[in-house]
Amino acid sequence: MRKALSIMTVLASLFAAHAFAAQGVTTGPNGEKPVPAASLTLTAAQEQQVKDGKFTAALVWHEMSEYTNAVNAGARDEFKRLGVEVVAQTDAGFDAARQKADVETVMAKKPSIILSLPVDPATAASVYDPARQAGVKLGFVDNCPAGYKQGTDYVTIVSDDLFQMGNKAGIAMAEALGKKGKVGYIFHDADFYVTNQRDGAFKKTIEQDYPDMKIAAEAGMADPARSEDIAQAMITQHPDLDGIYVTWAEPALSVLSALRAAGNKHTKIVTLDLNEPAALDMVKGGNIAALVADEAYSIGVTLARASAGSLVGLKAEPFYAVDSIAVTKETVKEGWKKSLNKDVPATIADAMK
Amino acid sequence: MSSANTGTEVGSLASRFNLQQYVVYLGFLAIFLFFAIMLRDSGFLTVRNLSNIVLQTAPVTIMAIGLVFVMSAGEIDLSIGSIVAVAALAAAVTIASYGMAAGIVAGLGAGILIGLINGALVAYVRLPSFLVTLATMGLFAGVSRSMTDLRSISVTNEIFTGFFGSGSLLGVPSLIWWTVIAIAIGHLVYRETRFGAHVLATGDNARAASVSGISVPKIRLAVLTISGGLAGLAGLLYAGRLQAAKYTLGETDLMTVIAAVIVGGTLLNGGKGSIVGALVGSLMMGMLNNGLILMGLSVSDQMIVRGLIILTAVAVSLRDKSR
Amino acid sequence: MNAPILQLQDIRKNFGGITAIENFSLEVFPGEIVALVGDNGAGKSTLVKIVSGVHPPSSGTIAIEGKPVTMSNATMGRAHGIEVVYQDLALADQQTVYMNMFLGREPLNRFGLLDRRRMIAETEKLVKELDVRIPSAHATIRDLSGGQRQGVAIARATHWASKLILLDEPTAALGVAETAKVEEIVLSLKQRNVGILIISHSLDQVFKLSDRICVLRRGKQIGVRETKKTDKNEIIAMITGLQQQ
Repeated sequence: MRKALSIMTVLASLFAAHAFAAQGVTTGPNGEKPVPAASLTLTAAQEQQVKDGKFTAALVWHEMSEYTNAVNAGARDEFKRLGVEVVAQTDAGFDAARQKADVETVMAKKPSIILSLPVDPATAASVYDPARQAGVKLGFVDNCPAGYKQGTDYVTIVSDDLFQMGNKAGIAMAEALGKKGKVGYIFHDADFYVTNQRDGAFKKTIEQDYPDMKIAAEAGMADPARSEDIAQAMITQHPDLDGIYVTWAEPALSVLSALRAAGNKHTKIVTLDLNEPAALDMVKGGNIAALVADEAYSIGVTLARASAGSLVGLKAEPFYAVDSIAVTKETVKEGWKKSLNKDVPATIADAMK
Repeated sequence: MSSANTGTEVGSLASRFNLQQYVVYLGFLAIFLFFAIMLRDSGFLTVRNLSNIVLQTAPVTIMAIGLVFVMSAGEIDLSIGSIVAVAALAAAVTIASYGMAAGIVAGLGAGILIGLINGALVAYVRLPSFLVTLATMGLFAGVSRSMTDLRSISVTNEIFTGFFGSGSLLGVPSLIWWTVIAIAIGHLVYRETRFGAHVLATGDNARAASVSGISVPKIRLAVLTISGGLAGLAGLLYAGRLQAAKYTLGETDLMTVIAAVIVGGTLLNGGKGSIVGALVGSLMMGMLNNGLILMGLSVSDQMIVRGLIILTAVAVSLRDKSR
Repeated sequence: MNAPILQLQDIRKNFGGITAIENFSLEVFPGEIVALVGDNGAGKSTLVKIVSGVHPPSSGTIAIEGKPVTMSNATMGRAHGIEVVYQDLALADQQTVYMNMFLGREPLNRFGLLDRRRMIAETEKLVKELDVRIPSAHATIRDLSGGQRQGVAIARATHWASKLILLDEPTAALGVAETAKVEEIVLSLKQRNVGILIISHSLDQVFKLSDRICVLRRGKQIGVRETKKTDKNEIIAMITGLQQQ
C-alpha cells in the first residue's frame, strides 16, 4: 500500500512536471511584475504635447559597451522622434563616485529627463538625489536606487525579460542537441539578480521540459577571469558532454578556447549576449550553437518613451521587460539588427558568404 | 667679463619666466575662457556648477599633493587608487561597528600602513617604486574586493558624512575646506621646510643628497607614506560624499592624478614640482570633464578631446624641461 | 709651523682579503695645499673615502688638530670640519645655488621654516669673496657653466670646512680658462687657514698649486716631497716606480 502510494506520488509529480512547459516570470529588483515593453505607446496627442514641451534629456550611463551603445541608440532615436533634445551623455566607468559627479554635472544643463543605469543600486540614492530633488524625471535600466518609490521618485525601470532569455537558451540548447544528451551548466556564482534569473530559467527549462536531457555537470563562476580553468576542469571530468551553457558571452569564449585546445568539436555551447568572436565561431560551424540576445535597442526606446510620456501625464508601469531572441547560424543577420539595431559585423557577413 | 655676466643674467631671467612654469595656468585660463564662451547658455558659469567642479576634484587634488612629493623624490606611487578603496571600506565598516572616530583612524591608518609598506620596500629593500606600487596596486585592489565580497557599505553617520564630504562650514562645503587646507599645508611643507628641500634634493640627485647628510631612504619612506595617508584621506572624502564605500572607488583616478601632477609642472624624474600647480592641474581635469559633458559630446568624443588636450598640455610642459 | 690639522698615522685599509692601502702616513698643516698623486688604482679614491669618513680605516689613526677621531660616515667627517668637493660635484642640478650651498644643513627661521633670506645673503657674500662669477644666488645649477658649478661646489666646501677641504680632481672636466679660474680660487683658499688636500692627474696643476706632493703607488706611500725641492721627473719616476729600478 505504502509502496503503491509512493509510486503514485512519483508518477503524479512526473506528470505535473511535464504537463506544462516551464513557467516562470521575470520580476523586477523589487519583485515588480513585468509588462511587455511593446505595450507602451503614446497617443498622437501626447506625442504632440511632448514635442511642444521642448524638453531635454541627459543620458548618464554606468559604462560604455556594445550593450549600452544599443540602449543609448534606442533612447536617442526615440527622443529624436519625440523632439526631445539630448543635451549630455556620460560614462561612469563602473565608478559610483564618478556617476555622482556626472549627475551633478549634467544638472547644470537643467535636463527634464535623466536616463541612467545605476552603478550601485544599494547606495545610488545619494547619486540621484540632486536630480530627484530638482524634479527631473528619472528613468532607469535594470535597477533603481534603494529607497526610491516608483511614480514619485522615478518613472519606471526597463529591463530584459530575464526568464525568457534563460528559457530561450534552454530551448536553443535542446534544438541543438536533438532534445537529448548531457549538458554542462556554468552559472554566475554571485548575488546578481540579472544573471541569477537567467541562469535559473535555463536550468528549469532543461529539467522540466526535456526529460531526455540531463544537467550532468554544474560549476559556479564568481570571477570571469577564471572561466577557462572552470571549463577546463569540466571538460576533463566530463569529456562526453553534449552541450555547455555559459552564463554570458565573455566567459563562453574561454570555454570555447578550452574546447578547441582539447580538440573537442562535438560539444555545443549556448550562451547569452551577442558577441562577435562567438558569432563568428557559430557561422563557421564551430562549437557555438546559439546566442540568446536581448533587444537592448528596445530598452532605450521604451525608457525614453516612458520618461517623455511622464512629462505629459502618462502613468508608466513600474517595470517593463523587452523581448529576447535566440540567434543561430541562420538568423544571425536579423538578430544583430533586432538586438543592437546594427548590421552584422563585416567579419561575420564575410564568413557567411 | 661684466658684459658676459649681464648676458647670463638676462638669460637666467628669461629661463626663470619661461613658458613651462606657467603652462598650467595659461592652459587653465584658456580652457576656462573657451568653455565660458561656448557654454555661456549651458550653466557652465553658474556658481553651482563651478563649485561642483571643485567638489568633484577634491579627492583627486588631495591625492595629487601626495604624488607631487613622491614624484619630486624621483619615485612613483601607482597604488593610490587601490588605497582609496581600501581606506573607504575600512572606514565604512569600522564606523558601522565602532563609530566615527574609530572609522577615521581605520581609514587613514589603512592608507598610512599601505604607504609604509610601499615605502619600506622601496627605501630599505631597494626595489623600484614603479614595481613595488604596481604590485601593491593589484594586491590591494584584491583586498578591497575581498573585504566586503564586492558589496558596497553605506555610511549613515551624519557627522562623518558632513565632515568628509557632504556638509559645509560657514557656508563653504567641507570638501572645499579640505582642499584649501591640504593645499596650504602641502605647499608650506613642500616649499618652506627642510623636509621639502630634502625631498627635492633626493629626486634631483640622490647621491648628492646622501653625501650632504640627507637620509635618502628616510625621505623615500616618508614620501610614500604621505602619499598613502593622503590617498586614505581621499578615500574618506569619497565615502563621505557618496555616503557609501565600494571597491570601485578610486579605481579610475590614478591616470587623472598623474596627469594633473605632470601638467601642474612636476617632473616625472624628480627634483622639481609644484603643489599649487597640481591643484590647478586637478581643477583643469575636472573642468575638462565637466565642460565636455556640458557641450553635449558623446562619451567617445569626450574621451578623444580630453586625451588630445592633456597630450598637448603635457607636451608643452615637458618640451622645455628636456633640454 | 704649528700643529698639523690632519694627521694620518699608519693607515691600512682591507677590503675582504685585498689590501687597498697600507702604512700610509701624512700630515696636512693649516694654510697648506698638499697634492696626492698616483696612477689609476693607486688607492687615491680609497684615501678620499677614509679622510672624508665614508670608510673607516682597518687600522691606523686619524687625528684632527692632534685629537684622534673615529668616523664611519661622511656626516661624521663633516662634523669634524672636513669637506669634500667630489669629482661629480654632488650638486642637485635643478635646485638653486643657495639651496645647494646649504644642502642638508639648511638654516631655519624662528618658525622652523627655511631661512631663505639668510641662505641667499650668505651665498652672495661667499661667491663674492671667492670671486665665483655666477648670475645670482637664485640661479639654477643646470643653467651654470662647468666652471661656475665647480666654483659653487668649492664655495660650499669652503663655507662649511673649518679644518680641511678635500678636492677630488677639481678641474678634470673644465676648459683652459675655467681651469685657470678654479686654480685661482683654490689658491685663495690658503688664506682661510684650512688644510687642503687635492687630488689631480695634472702634474702642471700640482706644481702650480701645492706646497707638498705625496705620491701613492699600489696602496703604498712612496714619498712626500716639498714642491719647491722636486721636479716633474722625480714625481713621475715615483708614480711609475722607475726610481726603484
